[in-house]
Parts: sequence; C-alpha cells; structure tokens
Amino acid sequence: MLDHFFRPRSIAVVGASRSPGKVGHDILKNITRYGYAGAVFPINSEASEILGKKAYPSLSSVPHDIDLAIIVVPPKHVLAVIDQCGERKIDAAVIITAGFKESGLEGSRLEQELVKRAKQAGVRFIGPNCLGIIDTHAMINASFAAGMPVQGGIGFFSQSGALCLAVLDRALPDEIGFSKFISMGNKADLTDTDIMLALAEDDNTKVILGYVEGVADGRKFMEVASLVSQKKPVIILKSGITTSGAKAASSHTGALSGREAAFDAAFKQSGVIRAHTINELFNFAIAFAHQPVPRGPNAAIITNSGGPGILAADACDKSNLQLIPLHKEYVDELRSFLPPVASFYNPIDILGDAGSDRYERTLQTVLKDERINSVMVLLTPTAVVDVAATAQAVIRVANALDRPVLTSFMGKKSVEGSAKTLLKHGIPNYDYPEEMVASLNAMYRYHVWRHKPAKRMQTFEDCRRKAERVFAEAQKENRDRLNDLEVHDVLRAYGFAQPKSLVARTSDEAVAAAKGIGFPVVMKIISPQIMHKSDIGGVRVNLNTKKDIERAFFDITTRVRNIMPTAHIVGVLIQEMVPRGKEVIMGITSDPQFGHLIMFGLGGVYVEVLKDVSFRIAPLSTEDAHEMIRETKAFPLLRGVRGEPEADIEAIEHSLLKLSQMATDFPNIVEADINPLIVRDRGHGVIAIDARFLIGGE
Amino acid sequence: MVTLYVGSTGGYTGKTLLTIGLGTAFRRDGFRLGYMKPVGILPVRVNDLLTDNDAWRVYRALDLKDPLEDICPIVLTQELEVRSYQKEMKGLIAKVVRSFERVSRGKDIMLIGGYGSIYTGSFLGVQGLDVIKRLGAKVVLVVKYEGQYVVDYILQARKDLKERCLGVILNKVPSDLKQSAYDYTIPFLRRKNIDILGIIPHDSVVGSITVEELSEMLGGKVLCCNDRLSNLVEHFLIGAMQVDRAMEYFRKTRNNAVIVGGDRSDIQLSAIESGSVCLILTGDLYPSEIIVSVAEQKKVPILVVREDTYSIAKKLEKLSVRLRLRDTAKVERGVQIITEHVDFPLLYRKLGIKAST
Repeated sequence: MLDHFFRPRSIAVVGASRSPGKVGHDILKNITRYGYAGAVFPINSEASEILGKKAYPSLSSVPHDIDLAIIVVPPKHVLAVIDQCGERKIDAAVIITAGFKESGLEGSRLEQELVKRAKQAGVRFIGPNCLGIIDTHAMINASFAAGMPVQGGIGFFSQSGALCLAVLDRALPDEIGFSKFISMGNKADLTDTDIMLALAEDDNTKVILGYVEGVADGRKFMEVASLVSQKKPVIILKSGITTSGAKAASSHTGALSGREAAFDAAFKQSGVIRAHTINELFNFAIAFAHQPVPRGPNAAIITNSGGPGILAADACDKSNLQLIPLHKEYVDELRSFLPPVASFYNPIDILGDAGSDRYERTLQTVLKDERINSVMVLLTPTAVVDVAATAQAVIRVANALDRPVLTSFMGKKSVEGSAKTLLKHGIPNYDYPEEMVASLNAMYRYHVWRHKPAKRMQTFEDCRRKAERVFAEAQKENRDRLNDLEVHDVLRAYGFAQPKSLVARTSDEAVAAAKGIGFPVVMKIISPQIMHKSDIGGVRVNLNTKKDIERAFFDITTRVRNIMPTAHIVGVLIQEMVPRGKEVIMGITSDPQFGHLIMFGLGGVYVEVLKDVSFRIAPLSTEDAHEMIRETKAFPLLRGVRGEPEADIEAIEHSLLKLSQMATDFPNIVEADINPLIVRDRGHGVIAIDARFLIGGE
Repeated sequence: MVTLYVGSTGGYTGKTLLTIGLGTAFRRDGFRLGYMKPVGILPVRVNDLLTDNDAWRVYRALDLKDPLEDICPIVLTQELEVRSYQKEMKGLIAKVVRSFERVSRGKDIMLIGGYGSIYTGSFLGVQGLDVIKRLGAKVVLVVKYEGQYVVDYILQARKDLKERCLGVILNKVPSDLKQSAYDYTIPFLRRKNIDILGIIPHDSVVGSITVEELSEMLGGKVLCCNDRLSNLVEHFLIGAMQVDRAMEYFRKTRNNAVIVGGDRSDIQLSAIESGSVCLILTGDLYPSEIIVSVAEQKKVPILVVREDTYSIAKKLEKLSVRLRLRDTAKVERGVQIITEHVDFPLLYRKLGIKAST
C-alpha cells in the first residue's frame, strides 16, 4: 500500500542543499551513499548540481517520473511543494520540515491547511517534523540520521525522532538488523495504524517495533493491532502517562483508571507486546527477529554456575514459563557424561569447569526431549571455559532446530565478541539472565495470543430496553447521576441480584419495612448529597430487633444532621442482610481515546490501598472477563485459601459481561461502579449491594 | 427575674458561644442563672435522654444543675421533622413554657438560646418570636458582621420585636471590615436608637476546627498521628503551586491545613516541613510511605478524602460558617473575648438589673 515510500523508483529531495551540515544536504547524502539504485533529483532553485547529482529548480522541471518527494523546505513553502507534488502526480512525500503543530498555534493552523491541501492534491505523507525513513532492503536512507543499520527483520516506527536516533545508534555497534525505520513526526496524515499495516505486509519485516506517545483513535488502533499481531509480533514502547491527581475522582472506578490503564488494556486485548523500557524493546526485538516462537511454556536452563542459574529460575517462576525436569531417559544420558556433582535437573548445572564440548553435548541431549519448548544457555566466563568455542557450539546445535535457544553470556570484556557472533548467527544474547527470561516469556505469551481461540462475544439483548427509560429520564432532566431508585432499576434490568429493600422516612416505617423484609436488616441513609454513605457513618448492619431499628434510625439521621446540616435526608433504606461472601468491585469508566473501560478488583483494602485492579476495554469477550479476574493479585482469595470454599467466579465473569453490555448500550455512562458486589460461594451467585452511575450529555 | 433571649437574624451567627460567654459573666457577677434552649436541631443522647448537642455543651460549660430534660424540651429529630410536615404539631409551645416555669424557679436571670433566626420554627408552631412573647423575654440580637447590609435585617427584627429588643452584638467582625463597621454601621444603628451591646472581633482560634472534626465532616480517612487529631486548624491553603513557592506560602500562615492532591508528594513534603498542622489529600489518592513516615516523625496528621481539591475547598468554605464548639480551649478563649467586648454595664442597665459585686 505504501510502495512509493519504501520502493520508490525515483526520489526528489525538495530543498536539497549544497552546504554540508544542513538537513537538506545530509539527507541527499544519505540517499546517495548507501547504494540506492533509483534516480535521485535534488530540487534547489539556485544550484545546478549537488553531490554529483544534477539539480532542478522545481519539481515541475524534472523531466522524469518521481515516486517519492522528501521535503525539507522551510514551513511556509511546504504547502506550495505539496501542491506541486499533486500537479506532478507524486503521491508519496516525507515532510522533514519542523514548525507545525509542535510549535504553537500558528504551526497548528499551518498543519491543518497542509492536511487539507495534501488531500486535494492526492498526496499521502509521513511527518511533518520527522527524521525521515530508512529501508535497508531497498537501500534507501532518506533521513538525516548518522549511519545505516544492517539489514534485518525489525521494522521500527517512532513518534519521537530523537528516540529513532538513539535506537539507531544503539543498533549500529551490535549490528542489530532492521528492515525499516520510520520516524512518524506529527502523524498529520499517515499514522501508526497505516504504518503497522504496511509493515505487516512487508516480507522483510519479521517483527514490528514501535514507540508511541499517544494515539488519535484508540478503537482503530486496537482493531489494526489485533489484525497485525495475528501475522507478526508487534512490540510497543508506550511512554507513561500516569494518572493525574488533579483529576476529579467521584468514584472508585474513576480514581483508579487513567490513560495508562486504558493503554495497558488495549495492548493486552489486541495482542500487542508491551515493552516498558527502551532496553526491553531491544531485548524483545532481537528475540523475535531471530528465533522461532516457543510452542509451549516448558523451558530448560543450562548453566555453568549456580547463582545465575537460580536467578534465571526465579525469573521463570515469576513469568509464564515453566521449568520441568527432563524425561528420565535424558537425565540418564546427561549422567553418562556430566560429572557426578553436576545438577541434572532443571536448571541443569554443568559446573564451572565445563568446556564448549560439555555445553554442546548437554544442549543436544536437552533438545532430544520433545517436551522442552525452549532452551536458555547461561555462561559465566570462568577461567576454563572457551567462550568463543562455546558460542560456536551453541550456534551449531541451535540453528538446526525450530525451537528457540536464547543465551546469556554474562560479563562484558570476555564475552563481547562472542555475543556479537551469536547474534550474527541468529542467537540473541543477553547481558543478564532476567532479561533473557523476560524476552523468552514475551515470545511465549505471543504464542499464546496467536493460538487463542477466536473471541467469543456474549450479548444480552433485552436488558437495554428495560433500562432505556431510566437513562432517558435522567438525560431529559439534565442530571449527571442516577438516583438510588434508578440505580436499582438499571441493575435489575441487567439481571443483577440485589438485596430486598424498602424506603422508610420514620422509625415506625423503618420497623414496618424490616418486619416486611425479615430480620436481620441493614439500614442506610438516603440523601442526594451523600455519595459515600459509610464514610459518614450512614450505614448500620445486622439490625435484629425493633429496638435496634429505632436506635439505628436515630443514630444515622442524627449523625448526618450533626455533620452535614445542609444535606437533605430523604429517609433510610432498609435492606435485607446479605449472606456473607467476598466483596468485589466492578465498574465502568471512560477514556477519551478508547471509550469505555471495564474495571474489576477485590473490595476493601485491595482496591483502596493496594489499587489491585484490572481493566479491559469494552466490549469484553468471554476470555477478557475470564482473564481480568485472574489478573488481580488477590485472585487466589476468590479461589479460596486455607480451606475456604471457592467463590462464584463464574458469576463474576457473567456480571462483568453484563456490565460491558451496559457500557455498550449506554454510551453516555461516564462512570459507574458496583461497590460492593458480594460474591457468594460457587453456585450461589452475586448480589449488588450498592452502585453509582454518573452520566454525561450527548 | 429577667429573661434574656439570645436571638439572631440568621443561623450560625455564634449564639451558642455568646450564650456561654454571657452566662459566665452573669455567674461571675453573682446572678443565679438558668438556661434553656427551647428547640434543638442537633439531636444527641445523653444517658439515654434526648437533648441537643449545643444545649448540652452550654449546660456543661456553665455547670448547670437543672434537670437536663427541661434544658431542651424540643429536639428536632428526623422523626419529628417528618411528622411536623405530615400533620399539624400541637402543644409544643406549651411544653416549652412548662419547662421554662420549672427551670426559672429561684433564678435571677434566664438565658434562652434561640435556634436559627427569630423567625424559624413556625412549622413546629414554636417560632422564635412566639417563644419570646410567651416567655416575656428581652432579646439581644447577635449579628454576624459581614458588611453594612446587615442593618436591613436588624431594622426588620427591631420592628418585629419592638421594645423587647435591647440591642445588637456585632459578632465575628473581620479585621478588614472593622473600619466600615465604625464608620457606617454603628453610627447608623445608634441614630436609629438601636444600642450596640458589643463588638466582637473575629478570632482565628475560635474559628478553628480540630482535625478530628475535619475528618468527620469531610468523610476522610486518618492515615497517621491519631494522637494529633486535636490539632486546631485555623486556615486552609491549597497546595497547587510550584514546590519552590510552596514553603514560603505555607510558612506565612499560622496553623494551616494544606489541601493537596494525593499524588503531589513534593507539596506534601513542603507542607510537613513548613509546619502545617494537617494535610488533606484529595482524589482518594494515598501518599507514598515516605510521606507517611515523615508525617509521623513531625506529628502531622494526614487525611485522605475522596473528592477533588476544588470540591473539598468548597465544602470547607461552607463548613467554616457552622463550626461547633467541641474544644474546651476554643470555648475558653471565646468566653474571654466575649467578656472583654460585651458592654455589660449597658446590658445590665437595659435589663434593669445590678451586679451584686
């Protein structure tokens, strides 16, 4: 689709310069120096020749077809150049020029105009305010970066030009191979999703790497990423936007979410592998670019020293990988040639006096066990080990197989050369075992993603109809929240069980209500000014007698009168005492880029203090609901610890799906949370005790 | 015996503290004192007896001995309020009169504490004006001084009270309005034959609030220094500036509580270091452990509240008009200021009584 960008037969550099050090000069130089075979036309109104190429005063004066225009003229001339591109039927441009949206209001206007004019002219463009693009296979370096990466399978796009330079510079000495390098700049026309699609189509690109600060259309991003990640791994470094404290947080869900949560959920749901540091981005990239993805979680570790082996094992323990012992047959085989004090189980410690031959035989033996999906080879540079020979041995064995082998030859001085050799032969080497494990784990998780069954979406048809009236009413009255009664109706419409409850205005009414419901009961204050009833002592539980009720009525109403004299007290709610269970909280929140998010967490301190919550972008698939419950750290408490019975996890899943349906049905929900939702023992369902809904306009 | 009704033209003018102040002075001057608050709006149970929180405080502050059940004969519970709107309430004023007769026996002065303004209470059939008439009381009007415009309300009240109105006490006069009070309001009222029985300056200690009260009213969670909940907060500051400015800003203000987002650890530290007496962290965001431990060391209690900074500031604004008198130090200081600034000779003359000492 973007062939003219990456396979141009000819390139014009508009704004090419004779003066070294100027961007217009450096780019032209880069284009001509790395073996680009097509025609290059410098455009400069004054020069007749630049860097040995005949220069032309304008695009219109070039007597040949032009596929790609690289634009480096000052911002005020860019529009005119785009118009000329249109006239010359040039449909691809890279606008290097800065001074647009990033530079203020004036620039912002100019950029808007640029987008409009480019559309009219039929020109698609990358930038403005970017570094340029590189394609190692077409041997084009249309950037002002210093150096050209070696050919390889990593396709990299970045919103930040500076990061492009850093990544490129970091890649050069280690000879890490790239297919394409795309500096996106302001993303005024072509965006991340366009580039991801192009890289997905590109046969030279094995793995897609990206640095993203923000996306314009979250849903589109997810849609494209899901598609692309099915074809090849997409690894993205997303710079963090942490939750701002100034944000008005009127409910739990609101306080706990934030852009970060939305991105994290979006990545998980679209199979994007998230790197948290630049280092991790590299680590993952070289693993994916060079090694096959493991087909299962079972990993083996071969090491010549105990400590690093344990570190690697610890890291595995925290990951999704598993260290399983080899089949007895192969353990016996190991015994036949390893010293008796070696460790034959996983991690396999072949001892500090191991030479390359011992490494080679061990690796061969381990790989005979078909259950082992991946192998990690650790090496500490002891006095006896021949690092270079060991590297060769690993290369010989590993490359004959379709199972991944990763290495961590630790140290610097004595392993540097071998690390390079390993990488050259497709074996990624890591400075530390943890990095190696993390990279392998990313690959394994990608395997899981690729083999996930198709998402199952469950819909609940008739709920919407039942709740529509409530939302319509609230909207008509221009209210920003639903009242208690409306909340009750909405929850009922979506099939949430709720405790039996009655409103009482006096203690006599309260007693009558309690008798109707049956003791014991709970009493809660009802006041439009009070959102968090228990915060101000507006809730009493386990009321068993008439006297309890009268006392509680007095206490609750008096307390509110004393500390919030301006609050209007409607009365109290008498509620059935709900049988004991685990408290969870679930909610809906909205993100400007991704729309509605569904939140889940265990109630009480888990949410309040530990912020142990998980998010997914709505609508949820059955798998999403399944995963997000298990993702919380407190999940084992739901499964039951110390002989406790298991909670009704299936009912929680079902509730999350219902909530997701609600979010889909009513786009004007700004925030909602059900807190607490009591989860009873398995098979006994859930009960929504309290909930809040904030709604917006539109 | 004379009956003095402490009334006002609005709520939250400082009647309760003034009642304690007047009562203390009357006792000091050798009068046998009785006290009642006909209608209470802050229900509380004392030894299973329903009474009013403010009345109960006055009762204890003045060390009274009359039966508590007569001190506040009508307590406006939720129950009573609902019922009073549902059907006509009868006989409440008679109940007040009966209590009054019991309490006033053998007293020189009966102090009556009004609730709300002299106009409130009609829905119960115990409007302040009616009570005043039934008890044959004289009235001292307590006015929270917020500018010249208060004279309108005073004139209306005088019209309604006629000769029962002894004069006014201008209360909580802020220092920046003092000049206008002396230039316009006071001469104006004197010209209208309304006596000024006292001019009481605003006092930041009396206007202060304990951390515990704050926590209760804001629905906050106390994270540390539970032993410092009695810290008195006189001023509130919002920590929203650059951190280098913050220290300077916080230091300028005495006994301040800083309202700041839970994630602004830089501001939180500056506040603790600069001697703030309380941190109010907004947005339901918990501070880092380091902050909590520094706060522990420096003995600065931290409250975490749900709302955002603006909403909390708005709440505090409202809250400052209805401070309660829980803290004895505060009450003592208040009483001292009142006794210094009330014109007792004039008051006694108007009441027609003489101090025995």
